[in-house]
Amino acid sequence: MDLGRLEYLQALVTEFQMTDSTGNQRRCSLDLSVLSVSSHTRLFSLAEAKEQVLANLANFAYDPNNYGYLRQLQVLDLFLDMLTEDNETLVEFAMGGLCNLCLDKTNKEYILEANGVEPIINCLSSSNEETVVSAVTTLMFLTTPRSRAQTTALPVVECMLRFSLSANTRLSNLASVFLQDYCSPPQVEEARNLSKHTAVGIPLPKD
Amino acid sequence: KMAAGSSGRPGAPCRHHAQLGACESRAKYREGWRPRAVKVYTINLESRYLLIQGVPALGVMKELVEQFALYGAIEEYHALDEYPAEQFTEVYLIKFQKLHCARVAKKKMDEQSFFGSLLHVCYAPEFETVQETREKLQDRRKYIAKATNQRDCFVSTRVEGPKKTASKNSEHDCPWGTSGSRVASNWDPSCFTSSHGVSHNTGSPSENHNQSLLTSPHCDNNCADISAYFGQNTSLPPSAHPGRHTPPASLMQQRMVSIYNGIDRFVPRTTHLQERKRKREEGNKFSLIGTSEDNTEVLIGPQLPEIPKVDMDDESLNTSATLIRNKLKEVAASVSTTSVEKPESSSSKPLVKQRRRI
Repeated sequence: MDLGRLEYLQALVTEFQMTDSTGNQRRCSLDLSVLSVSSHTRLFSLAEAKEQVLANLANFAYDPNNYGYLRQLQVLDLFLDMLTEDNETLVEFAMGGLCNLCLDKTNKEYILEANGVEPIINCLSSSNEETVVSAVTTLMFLTTPRSRAQTTALPVVECMLRFSLSANTRLSNLASVFLQDYCSPPQVEEARNLSKHTAVGIPLPKD
Repeated sequence: KMAAGSSGRPGAPCRHHAQLGACESRAKYREGWRPRAVKVYTINLESRYLLIQGVPALGVMKELVEQFALYGAIEEYHALDEYPAEQFTEVYLIKFQKLHCARVAKKKMDEQSFFGSLLHVCYAPEFETVQETREKLQDRRKYIAKATNQRDCFVSTRVEGPKKTASKNSEHDCPWGTSGSRVASNWDPSCFTSSHGVSHNTGSPSENHNQSLLTSPHCDNNCADISAYFGQNTSLPPSAHPGRHTPPASLMQQRMVSIYNGIDRFVPRTTHLQERKRKREEGNKFSLIGTSEDNTEVLIGPQLPEIPKVDMDDESLNTSATLIRNKLKEVAASVSTTSVEKPESSSSKPLVKQRRRI
């Protein structure tokens, strides 16, 4: 086992939790090093520190070799928690992290068990481009015979239909793949009919 | 609400092309050896397409492509005239055949000086077609399934091929296996290959193949031609140039492995014929860019009109074919009344060469 890597990840997560709980940037002694506050002329904010740590973790999530460690350190829960943060950047990075690691079977099951699909679907309405594309891809990756009812629910398919018409090629490509590969034609048809009855994206009031 | 973002059509400046300011506030233990911006890389951001900004407008497209070709086979390249560029610079799009080649090229070439100007290299996924995006996601799926020894219902049961030989690290260059001691340094796992990781690859089983390939005169011919063309010996495999460990050479080795299917595997003759046919057809597709699967280098430049009539991709077969051809010519010549010696006497050439480089 690569102890160096585990310690490093541990340090990252610990730092994250410490900056989170105090509300202030304070010195914390970690196994590997001292968190420096004064070595830079510019003070950095709590938010920035959290963003950096989260970005690191999300990038680590790209490498399957790290999955065991990440699970051990409960980083999956961390990512899911961050999806409901106000800070858009934290949401973006957390969503990216989930996108990176959700293809692994164990991670997938964990996320599904933890009811992760719901906050991910909510990310579809974010104004942050990266968040949205990560969410679309994650939903695809999380689709299994059991989860498909949730990941391809009607509102989701409807959303994907709109995305597939977007001028943003990345988004429209992903949405097209979603509709073509993960939805059945009746599903797409149903969503299409639904959107025909609504005025330009504004749903009619329910009776 | 629709996701905000740029218009996103290919060629338009996108937010993800923008160079972020370097992060100055990173805690000491997380400092890599150079400043990095805070960014998360997902499969959506990565692409076989690379956008290269800051290329000096000196007519150096050929040199630019040659430089990038060191990292892998290039499928397409062209200037993007409509993309906003700083004065005296141009913007180019380069499409690699493989995503991991694009990844290495980006890492190595970003922020590099090129003819006095600093290049900015980034992914350009907005140039992908729907099918290319689909394939990209599928490849990622397969990679994870292999790396974690899992199969899920969306992966085809047919094994991808001999890309992974000894270890799962062979193709996708996970540097963690070799860099356990590098805890405090370079922590960007999104860029899988580092020079460290690459030299790890040259120690892989593919090196054995390299030895046998070197002894083949077929390979030597091409190597000689190509090194003359490029003016630097970028094409010869590392074992011929001790001390060099260029990423492309080892990547080529990996490609060699995938073609020659491991030392022990016997490939029946019919398969070879199909392979050759396919290679020939593929070779014919590229008029401006040549890539030969069995070659150690990417060939760039116009193809000369003289294409060998038959290339059996096998020395003994080529020799036989040449002998037969020459015999036929001999017979034909002896029937005719002319006694002038035809240049067929140059049939002392043992091999049919592949494309000649300018």
